[in-house]
Amino acid sequence: MKNINTKTLPTWCPGCFNFQILAGVKNFLNKQIKNERDRENYAIVTGIGCASKIFDYVNLNGLNGLHGRVVPTCLGIKIGNPNLKVLGFAGDGDAYSEGVEHLVHACRYNSDFKYIVHNNQVFALTVGQPTAVSELGFVDKTTPAGVKINPLNPIKLVLASGATFVARVLADVKQVEWVLEEAAKHRGFAFIEVVQPCIIFHPDSDYKKHVYDLQESGHDKTDWKKAIERALEFDYNKLDDKTRIPMGIFYQKQEETFEEKFPALTRLKRAGKGWRDIKR
Amino acid sequence: MVKSILFGGKAGQGPNILTQLIGEALVKQGYYVFYSRDYQSLIRGGHNFNVISFSRFLINSNESKVDLIVALDEKTREIHKNELKNGGMIISGDGKDKDNMYFAGALYRVLGFDFKLLQEQLKKLRRFDENLKHAKEGFEKEARNIKINTCKLKNHKYFMNGSQGICGGAIKSGLDIYFAYPMTPATPLLFELAPKQEENNFLVLELESEIAVMNAALGASITGAKAMIGTSGGGFDLMTEALSMAGMAEIPIVCYLASRPGPSTGVATYSGQGDLQFARYSGHGEFNRVILAPGDAVECEELTSQAFYFSQKFKVPAIILSDKHLAESFYTSTLIPKITKSEKSTNLGRYNSYEHADSGEASEDAEIIKQGVERREKNKKEIEKEAEKFEMFKIHGNKNSRNVIVSYGSCKGAILDSIKDLDVKFIQVLYIEPFPVKIKSELENAKKLVLVENSATGMLGDVIREKTGVEIKDKILRYDGRAFTSDELKIEIKKKLK
Ligand SMILES: Cc1ncc(C[n+]2csc(CCOP(=O)(O)OP(=O)(O)O)c2C)c(N)n1
Repeated sequence: MKNINTKTLPTWCPGCFNFQILAGVKNFLNKQIKNERDRENYAIVTGIGCASKIFDYVNLNGLNGLHGRVVPTCLGIKIGNPNLKVLGFAGDGDAYSEGVEHLVHACRYNSDFKYIVHNNQVFALTVGQPTAVSELGFVDKTTPAGVKINPLNPIKLVLASGATFVARVLADVKQVEWVLEEAAKHRGFAFIEVVQPCIIFHPDSDYKKHVYDLQESGHDKTDWKKAIERALEFDYNKLDDKTRIPMGIFYQKQEETFEEKFPALTRLKRAGKGWRDIKR
Repeated sequence: MVKSILFGGKAGQGPNILTQLIGEALVKQGYYVFYSRDYQSLIRGGHNFNVISFSRFLINSNESKVDLIVALDEKTREIHKNELKNGGMIISGDGKDKDNMYFAGALYRVLGFDFKLLQEQLKKLRRFDENLKHAKEGFEKEARNIKINTCKLKNHKYFMNGSQGICGGAIKSGLDIYFAYPMTPATPLLFELAPKQEENNFLVLELESEIAVMNAALGASITGAKAMIGTSGGGFDLMTEALSMAGMAEIPIVCYLASRPGPSTGVATYSGQGDLQFARYSGHGEFNRVILAPGDAVECEELTSQAFYFSQKFKVPAIILSDKHLAESFYTSTLIPKITKSEKSTNLGRYNSYEHADSGEASEDAEIIKQGVERREKNKKEIEKEAEKFEMFKIHGNKNSRNVIVSYGSCKGAILDSIKDLDVKFIQVLYIEPFPVKIKSELENAKKLVLVENSATGMLGDVIREKTGVEIKDKILRYDGRAFTSDELKIEIKKKLK
């Protein structure tokens, strides 16, 4: 029997945008997963943070691993069994502060897993400190004088690092479901950033009024240079009236995946097996 | 009688190929051969040397003095001339640069070996014609020879170093994936495993950091793959957060920890045993682990298979402790390693780095926290019980002697060779975790009790006191990055026994 729900009740704050993301993920999974076998073909990996609690609310096999290490854990699962469909979830602190080096390499490796970063521009679970993507001037109890370091632009970073699927959406059920479907069609590493306000510690990042849809705007997602131009339109800093934030798929290109580069892994893929099934 | 040959030269002159060639030739003649490597952390130039010791009887270490010096460069003569025994001999190019195969030829003459055997050996190397020319020149030019006892042909099963032992043990245990980031002295294992992947259908992968290596290895392991990682102290430092996760989430993983001397970057290409307590206490929180400490190449193979066995059966990290002396020294043996087979135990399920219920759900509930701790404690008891089925320690030397030496790991060879004609019992500890508390009675019966270790503090002594209450006051410690030599160690042991 397929059932992707768990019995654990979410401990996110009432009204948290993680509920939107969770609903989008579940809608996507419910379409993909028809029976128990389908369910067993999936694996979920999370780090540590509010975002990563999604592990407790989605009944898939996997590992609720370490803060900052979602990417290598996903990679390891794909290496262990390249037939598994692997989804990794992390917060922005997890993905861009603690674990950013793995993200750069994930773009190079192009392993066939999907990486979803819940970007609320704050360390929420540790009650509100600035991450690598908090805007200049952001104030919290630990940074009374305000953030003085420019935020990282993750879209620019992953494009420069060679990512083959780069998307950004708002924390909205429909958008999350849509982008996961698009990413599922992509063979290779998919980087998905979901921008969300943290209603407690970073409520100002409700970007709805500023966003526009890349695909509707006629953006050519196969053009890397154009993708970089679009990425530069928003630098994750404070907004003014003119700020326009592109959402949707920035870039997509089909390239050989990590798993396709290693004959041992292609053999497993072809046989529909993992190393576990190799008897010696 | 033991004879020793020192091969010295600059990195890049090929002293290693030469040593390997002569080592194999001696093994073919039936001798027991041991050789160690001494090299600096540089790629070209500098001074590297290897010492071969051989005998008609089992030998597992070097002596401090040698019978022959093969000087590939002039510096070698200067640096090592004081290590030459009375009546010893130096083979050199007399001021001219000679190819390493010239010295192979010259040595064949000096040792009185049949040149045909060398010709056979050269066929296995590249540049056969050129090598043969140089070897002939050396063989013809050299006129001296030394007396060595002839040897009846023995059935040697192995001439291999510790890294090759670990490699063999891992492959025979059904290794699926080896993850690593290069760090001496664990790197030789990468060199051993990498070329054998295709033939044996396993994978060797180098990722961006030790942190990635350990997390990826655990990811692979939860899918049921037999995964292994390898590194030295600094790299293992970076892995310890994930090691602790393996403890919490109960994920099997085999860790090869080849230590180097000193904290931090320490001394990259020399030997030391300062990571014993680190292996025990790395990672935070209370969790189970198995730590095994082989003392020669055959034990490397056997204990690696046991590391896979324990890690799979009990879903715990199993650490194989090694160091440069063990990893890179060559040992001869007539024994066939005993491999412990292990079943793959792990299925993809829901794993958690948080404290969790049996089902995998994270929990902060007092009762569930308690249950988690007690589940791991119960597992610990079961590991301890299972370990009793294995040889957790060995007794060497005079088994009835009340002069007792205790040691572990790569010190084994020098101790065995130094106590051959002494009234000494040598207890070699193979299992660090779980610990063979049974040795307590052996230790209490001792009249003299001496710890031998390649460290400044004698950590095994601390472990023994913790586990058995017995304190070892007499210690022979070496902490200059070099392994013990048998003759010097013998003098130290005799002093302690007085
Ligand atoms: C190695 C490590 N450092 C620090 C922490 C403490 N920690 C737990 S959650 C968290 C912040 C998470 O922030 P983010 O990844 O942005 O996710 P969010 O809570 O905002 O969803 C931190 C720093 C940890 N668990 N592990």
